[in-house]
Amino acid sequence: MNVRVRIPTPLKKLTGEQDIIAAKGNTVGEVIQWLTETYPGLRERLRDENGEVRRFINIYVNDEDIRFIQNLETPVKEGDQISIIPAIAGGSSQKRKVTLTFPPERIQEPVIYNIGHRFKIVTNIRSANVTENVGWVTLEIDGEEEEYLKAVDYLKEIGVKVEPVEKDVIV
Amino acid sequence: MGYVKGLKCRECGREYEVNPIHVCEFCFGPLEVSYDYDEIKKSVTRSKIEERPKTMWRYKELLPLESDPTVGRYVGYTPLIKAKRLGEVLGVKELYIKNDAVNYPTLSFKDRVVSVAVSKAKEFGFKVVSCASTGNLANSVAALAAEGGLESYIFVPYDLEQGKILGTLIYGTNLIAIKGSYDEVNRLCSEIAENYRWAFVNINLRPFYAEGSKTFGFEIAEQMGWKIPRHVIVPMAGGSLITKIWKGFKELEGIGLLDRVESKIYGAQASGSNPIVSAFKEGIDWIKPQRPKTIAKSLAIGNPADGFYALKTIRESGGSAEDVSDEELVEAMKLLARTEGIFTETAGGVTVGVTKKLIDHGVISKDEPILISITGNGLKTQEAVQDRVGKPQIIDAKFSEFEKMITPRQKRLKESVFQSAI
Repeated sequence: MNVRVRIPTPLKKLTGEQDIIAAKGNTVGEVIQWLTETYPGLRERLRDENGEVRRFINIYVNDEDIRFIQNLETPVKEGDQISIIPAIAGGSSQKRKVTLTFPPERIQEPVIYNIGHRFKIVTNIRSANVTENVGWVTLEIDGEEEEYLKAVDYLKEIGVKVEPVEKDVIV
Repeated sequence: MGYVKGLKCRECGREYEVNPIHVCEFCFGPLEVSYDYDEIKKSVTRSKIEERPKTMWRYKELLPLESDPTVGRYVGYTPLIKAKRLGEVLGVKELYIKNDAVNYPTLSFKDRVVSVAVSKAKEFGFKVVSCASTGNLANSVAALAAEGGLESYIFVPYDLEQGKILGTLIYGTNLIAIKGSYDEVNRLCSEIAENYRWAFVNINLRPFYAEGSKTFGFEIAEQMGWKIPRHVIVPMAGGSLITKIWKGFKELEGIGLLDRVESKIYGAQASGSNPIVSAFKEGIDWIKPQRPKTIAKSLAIGNPADGFYALKTIRESGGSAEDVSDEELVEAMKLLARTEGIFTETAGGVTVGVTKKLIDHGVISKDEPILISITGNGLKTQEAVQDRVGKPQIIDAKFSEFEKMITPRQKRLKESVFQSAI
C-alpha cells in the first residue's frame, strides 16, 4: 500500500527537509520499518533501545491514535495518511484553518477535490454552508508551507476568497 | 542557592543547560531539573530548615532558582491538622489534612508552582507570563504577575466557575476564554508558545514550575515531625502534583532528612474525568485521552501531561487509584466542612470522597496514619454546592418570631447551656 506520512518539524532534517513522505507498508509497523530503512537517522528518534516506539511519540492514522486501533499492527490502506506527532507538542502546528468563500460561478465545481489533487496537501472540511448563490467552507489544510501557499494562490486565481480563521479561535 | 546542575530528559537522560525549554530535542520526553544532591546534603540540615521563616522557601536548596524569589515570598507552610472528627466518621485511627485551601495569596496549591515559575521567568528576563488553566492556576498567575509587575495573558475554558473568572480578572490580566475544553486550551497555548516569546508557566517553564509542588511534600514531612504518614491521597488533574510530592519525599530521603520512605500514594479523580484511574485499573501504562464531564472542573483534564509518571508513582509506592461521582464529591465537600470546618473546592471533595471509598473497600487500612491533600478553596466553586446546603431562615426582628421558629431540640440545647452556666 502507498501511504503518506507526515513528519514533524524537528525530524525534517533527517528526511531531507520533506515533511510529507510517500511510504509503503500494509500495517503502521511496516510503514515505520520502511521509513527507518529509507531514512536511517529516524530509527533512534522513533524507537527506543528495545525497538518500541518512544513513549512521547504519537502515531495517527487519518487522525486516529493507533493506540485506539491496533497499535503497530493497525492495517493501512491505499492513500491513508499517517502522522507522527510528538505528544508534548500538543498536536499539529502545521495545520492551518481557513475559510473559503466561493463566488456563485464556482459553487458547482469540486474545488476542494481539485486542490487536494493538484497540490501535496490534505484537506479536511470542518464546517460549511453552500446554497445556490453563495457558499463558504471552513477547511483544515495540512502540508508543506510551499504547497499550501500554491494552493492558496490557485484558489485566489479562480476567484475564491481565502481567510485565515486562527484569529477567531483565539479572541 | 544555585544547586541546579541543569535540565535532564526523563526518558532518555540527555542533559541540557538551564533554559526556558521543556521537551527533549532527541526523544520528545519531558525535561526535569537536576540538582547537585551531594552538595545539598552537605549544606542542609533539619535544624537549619526549622530556623527559617515559615514559607515554602525554607526548602530553597531544592528549588530551581538562582537567587532569592522575587514574587510569592510568603507562599506555603499551610496548616497540617489532625482531623479527629472526620477520622471518627471514616472509622480510622489517625487522619491528617494538609490544607492548601488557605495557601497564600490565592487559596490553592498553585501558588507554590507559580511563585517558582514567575520568579524564574523574571530571572530569564521575560516580560510576559502566561498559562493554560482550569482556574486555580489562572488566579495565581494573574496575582503573582501583578505582584512582580509583569504583563499576563491567561487562557481558560469559557465555562469556568464565576469565582475563578472574577478571581483572575481582578488582578488586571488579559483573560482569554476559549470555546473548548481544557485540553483544547492547552493545545492552543502550545501553539502560541512556539510563536511568542512568553513565559508559559506550565509549558516552556514547566520543568521549573513543577518543582514548586515538591514543597507540599516537604511540608508534610516536616510538619509530621520528619516522617510521612503511611497513606497519602492526592487529587490528579495533569498528574504533576502527585509525582512531585513523591519526588519531594524521595529527595528528603536521599539527602538524609527522612528515614526510609514507606508511604503509599493514592491518586484521586472524578469519575467523569478519570483517564489516570482508568489506566491504573486496566493495568496499562499509557493514557487513553477522554472528554471530561464533571463538576470538578479543576481536575477536568482528559489528556494529562504527566499521566504516565503519575501512574508510575502510584505503582512504585504500592498505592492505588480511585474515582468518585459528582454526587459523591459534593457529599464529601459537605462532610469535610461539617466535621472539620474546612470548606474545600470540588477537587477536595474528590480527594475526601476517594479516601472514604478506599477505606470502605479495605484498600487503605483503618489502623495506619492517613493524610488527605486538600489543594483548593470552596469559595471558588460555590456553584457546585449552592443548591445543596439549605437556605437561611428569614424572620422579623422579634423574639416571639424566633421562639416560633426554633425546634424543640435547639431549645433543649439552650437550656442545657444555661444549666451548666449556673
